[in-house]
Order: sequence, then C-alpha cells, then structure tokens
Amino acid sequence: MVKVLVVAHDERSAGEALSAFGSLGEAYVLAYGAAAANAAGIAEYGVKVYKLDSDVTDVVFEAVKKLYEELKPSIVAGVSSKNNKDVLSRLAGLYDIPMTTDAYDVEVGDGFVRYKRGALSARAVATEKVPMPAIVLLAPRKYQPAEKKGGGSVEELHVDVEPKVKVIERQEKVRGGVNLEEAEIIVSVGRGFKKKEDLKLAFELAELLGAQIGCSRPIAADLKWLSEDHWVGLSGKKVAPKLYIAIGISGAPQHIAGITDSKIIVAINKDKSAQIFKHADYGVVADLYQFLPVLIKKLKERMGKA
Amino acid sequence: MGDIVVLVKAALNPETIRSKPDGTVDIDAMSLKISDIDRNAVEEANRLRGILGGKIYSITVLTWGPVAKRTKDLNMAVQEALAKGVDEAFILADDSIIPGDPITTASAIVGIMKKEGLNPDLILAGEATIDGFTSQVAGRVAAKLGLPYISFARKIELKDGKIVAERDLEDYVEKVEAPLPAVVTVTREINQPRPPTLLQIRRASRKPQKKLTASEIEGIVPPKRVFEDLRVIAVKRKQIIIEGETLEEIADKLIDYLVKEGVIQL
Repeated sequence: MVKVLVVAHDERSAGEALSAFGSLGEAYVLAYGAAAANAAGIAEYGVKVYKLDSDVTDVVFEAVKKLYEELKPSIVAGVSSKNNKDVLSRLAGLYDIPMTTDAYDVEVGDGFVRYKRGALSARAVATEKVPMPAIVLLAPRKYQPAEKKGGGSVEELHVDVEPKVKVIERQEKVRGGVNLEEAEIIVSVGRGFKKKEDLKLAFELAELLGAQIGCSRPIAADLKWLSEDHWVGLSGKKVAPKLYIAIGISGAPQHIAGITDSKIIVAINKDKSAQIFKHADYGVVADLYQFLPVLIKKLKERMGKA
Repeated sequence: MGDIVVLVKAALNPETIRSKPDGTVDIDAMSLKISDIDRNAVEEANRLRGILGGKIYSITVLTWGPVAKRTKDLNMAVQEALAKGVDEAFILADDSIIPGDPITTASAIVGIMKKEGLNPDLILAGEATIDGFTSQVAGRVAAKLGLPYISFARKIELKDGKIVAERDLEDYVEKVEAPLPAVVTVTREINQPRPPTLLQIRRASRKPQKKLTASEIEGIVPPKRVFEDLRVIAVKRKQIIIEGETLEEIADKLIDYLVKEGVIQL
C-alpha cells in the first residue's frame, strides 16, 4: 500500500494525478483555488478531499506541510503548474525529499518512483528514479482523468497562518479565446511579420483551414501583438496538432521545444538557413508577404470557395 | 547596505546535444554555458544593487562532471556573471556530488552561504534552468532558510525594506509584497540582458573567485536521484524544401503534400 497526497490546483489536475497514482492505495487530495471550488466533484473520485479556504501560496504551503506531517504519504503528486512548483519545491527543501516536474510513464515499486520526463529543452527524454517519499508533478494532459466511482468526502481545511508573501491584487490575463493544446491545426506567426496589421494574412489562412493562431515568444512577450495564450514554446504552450504551420518563425530552440509533438510541420520563411527548416517536414523558402496571398488563393480555389 | 546573492548555473547547453550510436545522449560531448534565465537574474541584481547599495555575490554548484573536463566551461559561465556585475563568485565543483541533484545543489548553496557568512537581503535565481527545467532549487533554498519565497517574478520593486513583485502565473498576474530578506525567481520577461562589454569582461578577470570542495561545506545532502537513461528524441522530420518555378506551383505542391498526409481536407 502506497499512500498518496494529491495537491490539486484544478479539478482536472486531481483527476490526472489520481489516474497516475490513485490505484496504488490510499489517496487524499488537497484542493486549493479552482480545485477547492470543485471539491465535491473531486470527491466523486472516491477520495477524501481537504478543501482549503485559501489559494495564497504561503497558506497552501502550510496546508501541504500540515497534511504531509499528519498523513506521511509516500508520494505527493499533482500536475505541473507554477503554484504547485512554488509550494512543493518548498516542501521538498524542508524535508530534503526528491521532486520532479513534467513527469509521465510513472511506475512505483521497491521503494522507488520511476518516471520519464523531457530534458535538455525537450530534445531528450530522461528516465530517472528517486526513492520515496518523493514529490512527482506530472506533465499536463499525459493522463486521462481517473474514473469517478463515488464514495468520497470533503473536509473543510483552514490553516491559521499569516502569509509572509501577501497578495495585493490579481489581474486576469487577457485571453485570445484560443485553446492551443487541443487544436488540430495551428497557424503560427513570428517576427517575419513586420506589423501587427499584417497578421491578418495569417488569420485569413487560419480561418480557411479551421486553425487556431499560435505565435513565437517575441510576438506575445515583447511586441504583445497577441495575448499570451497564443504563445507556443518552452515558456508558452506545448502543442501537439496534426498540422503546425510556422510562418516567419526562425526556430529558436525554446520554440522548437513546444512543437516537437506535432505530426506535420510546415515552415514558411524567406531565410533559407533558418533553423525552423531543420525541424520541418515541408519548407517553403519565400517572402511570406508574397507567398501567403498565393497560398490562400490556391486553397480557396481548390476548396471551391474562390 | 543590503547584499544580493545570485544563483548561477553552468547548465548543459541543449544546442550542443549529440547522440551516441545507441541513441543515448553523449553528455561528455556537450558543453556547459550559463543558464539563459540566470542572465536575467544577474541583470536584475545589477539594477537592484543601485537601491540596496551592497554587493552582489554569485553561487555556482557544478552538477555535470567530471570536474577536470568542465573547468573551462564553468569558468566561462562564472566570468560572464562577473562581467555583468557580480562582485565575487563562489564555486563548488566536486566530483563526489556529480551528477548533481536539486537536493544536493540547494543544500550546498545554503552551506556555502553559512560558511562564507553571506546574509543577503535578496537571493535571486532564474525561474528554471535550461537543462533540468524543474524550477525547484530556489524554493528549496527559501524553505531551508525560512525566508519568504516569490516565484516567477516578471517585475520587482524595492521600497522601505519590502519587495513588491508581479508573479506571472498561467491565468493571472499576482502582485505580492513581502519583507526582506526574500528569495525570488525571475522570468525572461523581467528585463533584456545585454551582453557584457569588452571592458566589463577585462575587469571580470580581476574579481575574486573562491573555489570550494564539498568537504569544506556543512550539511550537503548527497544526490538521491538516479539517471537510468537519457535518450535523444529522434523526431525524423522530412525536411523537404518545396521548389517550383512560381509561387503558384509551390503553393499547389504544398497543398498536395498536406492532402496526401491527411492533415487537411479540401
């Protein structure tokens, strides 16, 4: 019997962690933030849910620490999110226990957890093992949520602690209404576009193909032409469409790291030595301002929309 | 007068990845370089020094060995930090703790701070390193020292002995405030690091560097993680450059390929 404490920031992450570890033995869930709001839904997985009344990192840390000491789990699990990394790295430091992030293919046995994870900017896969107790944060969406068999319970949890890091305000990020992780086709734009208005060429292509719009780091982070939910790469979204069309993107390693799971990659760039061509199935060396109108026209003709 | 400690890693440079005949990564053939986001941390330390008025120290713990083969790259990484404003560097390079583990690195950092009597107002680090990317060493250090921890900061302000920072999270930006001393990790967006000038590089070589061994530092936790396999992802892309007399011809060929692949439907 292996005891598992899942630290969940939302309901789906609880389901994924229980799918990876829930069948090993006893499982408990600490739910904060969006997960606490859906505590009853998480209890349907047949587990006891501690519903924390705060999502301030210092408070979540104290709650995790309290439950870790009470339950003495062999595995503290969750899905990799920034707040989970924040809180659990502190737990790891406090007790000198191993921690990993973005893990998948987890196996537990002989006092160890074995897992795979992407390494070296997603250019390699590492297989590692660490002794338990251990903290294992899973790569998002590598596991289907566990089955809801019912029979769980919810207990309200309050930790009496004055946070040292106080939250002054939160500002929701502007959303472009995209969900790149689920997209089948992505048309992605980079610095090859000279002005924001010119992106409409890519938008037109995307509309024809039923694609979502992605972008490289400069477009979202520096120029802010698109909201951050369009950003593909190591610090942005990791995507796995069947077709990824990179337009005017040079192919920095951090961008490539986000697109390696794509089935087919097309690159359009006027610089024939651009790195992106080494990571593409089909490359077109051309000025996007000349090529995109032609491609759009041809697609329309062949789709009978001309 | 408040000092700053910056954590600087000599990370495996993913761009130099090589495969052995069996498909595993030839780690010995890869070079090390300063982890990209640590450059942002050093740049930010340099900016904040103007407010705190103290010195900037860097701490580097070598995690890839053997030490003898890594010394040149390690020195380059530390030199870059010194050129960019660090006043004094502490370096732990010891084959007994290699390959490293975040448990070991964090405990060594804390041990070095104690041994050297470093009591900074601020400990800065990158949000993650380019080779491991687990975002955990700074959080471990904060917990071990019992200090406030602010992760993923894309903006930092210091005033009246307090830090105000913007944490860049998935769905929202969280503005937080904490007393100093504190441990803070920064994102790439916090600033634009400029490469050091020739003059800065020349001055860096005269700045003090202290090399340490594991036996001199108390409380180092031995590595627990075992690397069983590290394999290059063999994504074979077709790399077909579509040629044609006209753009129309190229567009037609591209569409033909995509239909044949079954990724678009006409």
